Amino acid sequence: MATIAPGVQTGPYHAVLDHIHPEPTSFIRKYIFSIDAKVIGIQYMITGAIFFMIAGMLAEIIRTQLLSPDGAIVSPATYNSIYSMHGSAMVWFVVIPLLTGAFGNFVMPLQIGARDVAFPWLNLVAFWMFPIAGVILFSSFLIGAPDAGWTEYPPISLQGPPGTNLWCIAVFLIGVSSTMTGINFLVTIYKMRAPGMTFTRMPLFVWAQFATAPLSFIATTALGAALAALFIERVFNVPFYDPHRGGSPVLWQHMFWFYSHPAVYIMIIPGFGMISEILPTFTRKPIFGYKMIAFSSVAIALLSFSVWAHHMFTSGMVPWLQLPFMIITMVIAIPTGIKIFSWMATLWGGAINWKTPALYATGFLITFTYGGLTGFFLAAVPADYHEHGTYFVVAHFHYVLYGGSIMSLFAGLYYWWPKITGRMYNETLGQIQFWLTFIGFNGTFTPLHWLGLLGMPRRVPNYDPSWTFIFWNRFASISSYVMTLGALLLVYILIDSLRNGKKAGPNPWGARTLEWMISSPPPYYNYKKIPAVLAAPYDFGNPLPYIGLEAAPGAVEATPTSASHPVPTY
Amino acid sequence: MAVSVAEHGHDVGHGAHDEIIYQETRDMRLMGFVLFLFSDVVLFSSYIFAYIYLRNSIPSWPPIVDGHQLPRLDTAFAAFNSVVLFGSGVTMHWALEHWKHGNRGRFDLFMWLTIVLGLGFLGGQSYEYAHAQIGGWSGNTFGASFFTLTGMHGLHVFLGVCFLFVLWLQTKKNVYDQHHFFGLTAGTLYWHFVDVIWVVLFFLFYLW
Repeated sequence: MATIAPGVQTGPYHAVLDHIHPEPTSFIRKYIFSIDAKVIGIQYMITGAIFFMIAGMLAEIIRTQLLSPDGAIVSPATYNSIYSMHGSAMVWFVVIPLLTGAFGNFVMPLQIGARDVAFPWLNLVAFWMFPIAGVILFSSFLIGAPDAGWTEYPPISLQGPPGTNLWCIAVFLIGVSSTMTGINFLVTIYKMRAPGMTFTRMPLFVWAQFATAPLSFIATTALGAALAALFIERVFNVPFYDPHRGGSPVLWQHMFWFYSHPAVYIMIIPGFGMISEILPTFTRKPIFGYKMIAFSSVAIALLSFSVWAHHMFTSGMVPWLQLPFMIITMVIAIPTGIKIFSWMATLWGGAINWKTPALYATGFLITFTYGGLTGFFLAAVPADYHEHGTYFVVAHFHYVLYGGSIMSLFAGLYYWWPKITGRMYNETLGQIQFWLTFIGFNGTFTPLHWLGLLGMPRRVPNYDPSWTFIFWNRFASISSYVMTLGALLLVYILIDSLRNGKKAGPNPWGARTLEWMISSPPPYYNYKKIPAVLAAPYDFGNPLPYIGLEAAPGAVEATPTSASHPVPTY
Repeated sequence: MAVSVAEHGHDVGHGAHDEIIYQETRDMRLMGFVLFLFSDVVLFSSYIFAYIYLRNSIPSWPPIVDGHQLPRLDTAFAAFNSVVLFGSGVTMHWALEHWKHGNRGRFDLFMWLTIVLGLGFLGGQSYEYAHAQIGGWSGNTFGASFFTLTGMHGLHVFLGVCFLFVLWLQTKKNVYDQHHFFGLTAGTLYWHFVDVIWVVLFFLFYLW
């Protein structure tokens, strides 16, 4: 133990970390089978982006079919497969791998001042299961894709086409991958923080990954069990879910939602973490309520295990059980509300610099709050009886998953893109891209609330040919094309940035977390010397709380703002 | 699992520098391994939940098939088989203790006794599977939950036996010494974990 600053001691491990492993030289070990968490993060990002485009195209087929009440773009059977695959791909192959695998791997080790994750080889194996599982999932189109929705409720899924077996295998594999990543991240964050980085000095994105990791390796295992049973029942005819043979379809719903409700928090808590990084940087203010934001992530993670049956109010559960599930579901709104208010208080009076990440973070606040409030309606048992299985549910979960997770992913992508690539993107195009996404998104999903309340059921290819239904469905479809235009523009922006973007330098935003203190893109070893941490990273106006950092040239904080010049000039 | 044990082989270090690295990596691997076991507990818990759910959703258990109630499982035989498995837990404990005290001969003896008892348990389970009159794996929900849960446990025992055999081979190649034996710790933890799961399964299937 050596004291390197008042109150900061290096552990025995850090004292011996002066040795830096040389970077591998062969192309394969450097880019394909790399054990460097940053490379693996980028691999996740590229793979996830490809799946995002495929799943997005499926969504556009759905919206195009719904342009007219008797749409015949695809047959009803194909339509079933398309929305099932759209949901499965978006949840398991886009949002979860991008939030944990991609940004978790790239950003989290940098933010805790580590050279890599705890188990780099495990990380490599976990990544490669992801594209393999994705190929298995999409190859189910060749033999008849699953058609019972992304939830694959039996008994319909028991009678589903052969591709349902591939679906089970693919989701099982991605589940194992997610479990590995969860264990890896938890050990990394618990054991490998830089000296002096106590729990209350961790960046909030790290807190978010810390709260998410246990969800990944606890809840996902339950999904694996349910999937294995479904596979066994389909292939070996062993009765678990078939009601004719003593099984129970509701059993699947319990096991599925015991995973899938915590999973919605796997899909949003890392997004919360990104917003908590972006808002202080672009308001030039310390984050409001650091500890409350950190602990509320953990509170959400704990509560998420006791709310799953709110998806099953209409599945014939005993009435006395509905009340506790309704109340606990509503209780989750408290830690979530704490976050929302803390972010609003961070914005309050800040010198907000409206760059694209800040726009996305603020847009996230609006759409996610909206989605959270409709969740409140669905949690209330009497209202749920009316709304269950309608487009109201579709609108709700797209507001939290697109308006929440994907918007925060876009925010994080614009925020960390200069760090990942070393190049800036085109700010004007970025802002146009934000408005296309924001307007297109709200135009697509707001009318779906009204259609749902009017009784339009989800997962049906045709609908009532009355004027109201036709008008709002067309409105939603056309808005969704605007949203797609935004996604395509993003692809252009990123390619343009790689080709023509100007050099970003180590810290283009004047942020204060550790990853911005080193060059962009970071070197193979991340930190030449592991720095010591004296305080939480958000105290704008104070000197940087790091010691022993061999900072990259120019990696200093931007000039603090003053009252006369509220907007920093950088 | 096997990968981490094999990697660990290179870490048995000389000098203070290597020793610190060894201890730190060992602690991380131990934590990771315990978390892995925890997620395995969730796997078993899910199927136990399914078993309880299916059992409670019909009026009589064992279920009535074609007008006849299925027989209960053979508790006496399973109790004997359980003693074999728990005995292997005891021998595994002794094996690790003898390793810590440097008694390689005794370690070999108890390690092999553990492996043999583990295989004995699997043999007993196969006998039981062959003679259980509950309609087979795919006949009814009793067979489905019994064969799935105990089969998954048996798979864990089988993988455990393989794990222990690999560990024994590693000790012969001097991968571990008296003070650096993370693989053996992990193997012991895993073996005790498999024992504890069996306690729960024994209660649920034979005594309830």
